[in-house]
Amino acid sequence: MDEISKKLEEIVGKNFVSDKSEELYIYSIDPGASEPREVNFVILPKTVEEIQKIVSFANQEKIPITTMGGGLTLSGLTIPVKGGIVLDTKRMDKILEVNETSRYVVLEAGVSTGKIFSYIEQNYPHLQISIPDAPPSVTISGNTLIHGSGYLSQQYGNHGEMINGIELVLPTCQLCKLGSCSISKYWFSRGPIPDLIGMFISSFGTLGIITKLSIKLFPKQKERDLVFGLMKNPDVIPELINSITSENIVEDILLGKADKPDWMKGYVFVITYITGRSQNEINEKESILKKIYRKNGARYMNAPPKIKQIYLEKPQFAATAADFRKGGGFEYVGSFMPLEEIPEAIKLASEISYKYNIIPTLGCRVISQGHTIMFFASYSFNRADPDDIINARSALHETNKMVLSLGGIPWKSELKGQKLILDRIDPAFKNLFKTIKDQLDPNGIMNPGNWEV
Amino acid sequence: MELKDFKNIIHRCFRCGYCKFTSSYSDFNCPSYKKYRFESYSTGGRMWLIFALMNNNLEWSNNLSNILYACTTCGNCVENCRFDKFNEFWVDIIESARKEAVKKGFCPEKQHFLIERVMDPKFKNPYGELNSDNMALREMYSLPKKAEWVYFIGCTSNYRQKSLRDATLRFLKKIGINFTLIDEYCCTSPLIRTGQIDQCHNFMSHNIEAIKKTGASKVLTSCAGCYRTLKNDFQKFGVDHDLEIYHVIDLINQLLDQNKIKFKSEFNKTVTYHDPCHIGRHMGIYEIPRKIIKQIPGLTFIEMERNKENAYCCGAGGGVKIGYPEWAQEISKERILEAKKTGAEVISSVCPFCKTNLEDANEKYDLGLEVIDLIEIIDQLEI
Repeated sequence: MDEISKKLEEIVGKNFVSDKSEELYIYSIDPGASEPREVNFVILPKTVEEIQKIVSFANQEKIPITTMGGGLTLSGLTIPVKGGIVLDTKRMDKILEVNETSRYVVLEAGVSTGKIFSYIEQNYPHLQISIPDAPPSVTISGNTLIHGSGYLSQQYGNHGEMINGIELVLPTCQLCKLGSCSISKYWFSRGPIPDLIGMFISSFGTLGIITKLSIKLFPKQKERDLVFGLMKNPDVIPELINSITSENIVEDILLGKADKPDWMKGYVFVITYITGRSQNEINEKESILKKIYRKNGARYMNAPPKIKQIYLEKPQFAATAADFRKGGGFEYVGSFMPLEEIPEAIKLASEISYKYNIIPTLGCRVISQGHTIMFFASYSFNRADPDDIINARSALHETNKMVLSLGGIPWKSELKGQKLILDRIDPAFKNLFKTIKDQLDPNGIMNPGNWEV
Repeated sequence: MELKDFKNIIHRCFRCGYCKFTSSYSDFNCPSYKKYRFESYSTGGRMWLIFALMNNNLEWSNNLSNILYACTTCGNCVENCRFDKFNEFWVDIIESARKEAVKKGFCPEKQHFLIERVMDPKFKNPYGELNSDNMALREMYSLPKKAEWVYFIGCTSNYRQKSLRDATLRFLKKIGINFTLIDEYCCTSPLIRTGQIDQCHNFMSHNIEAIKKTGASKVLTSCAGCYRTLKNDFQKFGVDHDLEIYHVIDLINQLLDQNKIKFKSEFNKTVTYHDPCHIGRHMGIYEIPRKIIKQIPGLTFIEMERNKENAYCCGAGGGVKIGYPEWAQEISKERILEAKKTGAEVISSVCPFCKTNLEDANEKYDLGLEVIDLIEIIDQLEI
């Protein structure tokens, strides 16, 4: 082990490698409900060349590498399954280019969503980047590369779709660019060449280490507001969402069900975000939405400014769920669901929550005008109570099964969820993926244990 | 408080990472995470390690001790943590974990040196200087034995920043308040911050007794660290007193408000203000120094990007200056460069410890900014 540490120190310097029990402990767990798993080394590279050297060395020694951004998937994706090195990318934190005309930003892989959000707000106030409702410490590359979504996803698709190009170190150490950047100085487009980028999204670091990426920027309107609605019967949701998206006037649509406080019990709330050049435009859109709510079984709710403020914040403080059981933990099954199954998903996830004695905290984000719904069921737990963690884990597993039974797909799934997916997936898909993985990563060093086909 | 007193709080940290940032997320604002970049060196990381330690999932080690001590306890984490039911405790928990480190024999050598010096009867201060009973100063400034006010000079001003001390003494003479000095011992701030608390009660008691002997009901200090300790920590250590504690800026502010003083000459420089953590985030005082600065004729005031609740620490606090002197200056260098970016010629503050560290970096890296405490600016004015 000492020899390996020494070699890694030669690559990045001794201050940025650790095999000490404290770092190994911290990187062996995440804030979700996954069990701790062994880590042997943590390394913090600064450059692409350093990553190439690390990968080369890992290949030589057949040491697994697990790449980590913010480490907040909550589903253990950055905890190694088979030990080895955790490669924390957060020292690679430069914003390399903002192209105002073609509206994209090129970043190193370790740039946090907080940093890029703040940078764009401050320097390009007429533009915006979609960020998730996750803490600002998550990396933009980590989030986009797991099919994350954010407040612009209703209009422009999930964050994976917002990627214009990537640079990555392949498992064989080769540096590779995908998208227009492979032939042009502009990182503006994924095509018109074979679109290989998709292969690296949601493959959980099993095919390479992304070092740079280009993300789309979007125009930003001056005014932003939201319109709350409440409904008793979730069956109206598909029609309601289709009616709203048909008008093409909203930025973001969220749905939620939280049986606390008590007055919320049994209700589903809808929040539509509207933007405009003037307050008049906002008022007009609000009025249209109120009518849509009324016609589709929901009623408008005049929310107090304090509540509005909470929901208008970017990013929203979703991690508040971690303290629901005064225990610093929560994990959710996120999933991509077809719109028509959302009422049933809400019903079944509520039942699962009550079965496991957890107050239902469910929600949805509409993606791409309703072509996909990101549905989540969140389970809080007390980290100081091992039984409570096991309880949450069981609820998560049952929810994964429920999602699959309704035709949805668990998102950024933990190992057991990945297995459920792989058990159902088309065998030809599995074979193709295995062929690609074996070809790209002959020594099986890239986050092995994930997507094990 | 002991670590066990926080056992129902520590595990509630989710490790979401808000604690690393400024409130706008523009940059990492936790000096420790910014330097080390391992998750273990964020406040969340520390909480999880402490939790593991309490559950016997980890054992004490030199590395763990380093992680706990490589923190300026600046309070950025307290300010930016979003869990407002318990975020106020993060620094207290780190200080309590340091107490445990001391008990278990894992106090780092350099920080341990502090207590050796303070405990030496010749010194009674962390600088290893012969203890001044302040009698010479009392004579020099013709101060009485009994007075309404005591100026508690503090070790840094008395042994390292004498110009700041003298500026305060001259100011107090100028405004004509009835004050005196005592034979003071270390206020214990450096001991509390590094978990070496065994003798704190005795030192505090000595100081209170000495103050009481003068008949004073008000204590004034020009040191942010002494101010926080006298005002907040004495009670926590069971050393109750009914003294009114002032930082010199409280007094100046009061006198300006009452029209008892007025700045009559000019200070024709562009000045930026550095919020000391002990006065800012730990005591919530942001506006008073700015209000005073803005009343100085000729002075152009300009804010740094990170200011008030988001101020970047100077790097000296929490035992970092003694434990990690090079790193402490790197932190100060970043702060001075931020000050220079504003176009300011002067960086001012109200803390001799911040001044020392800022000056050290200014000199070491030849950054060419003037570092002047606010009381030293006021000392240059006619009032």
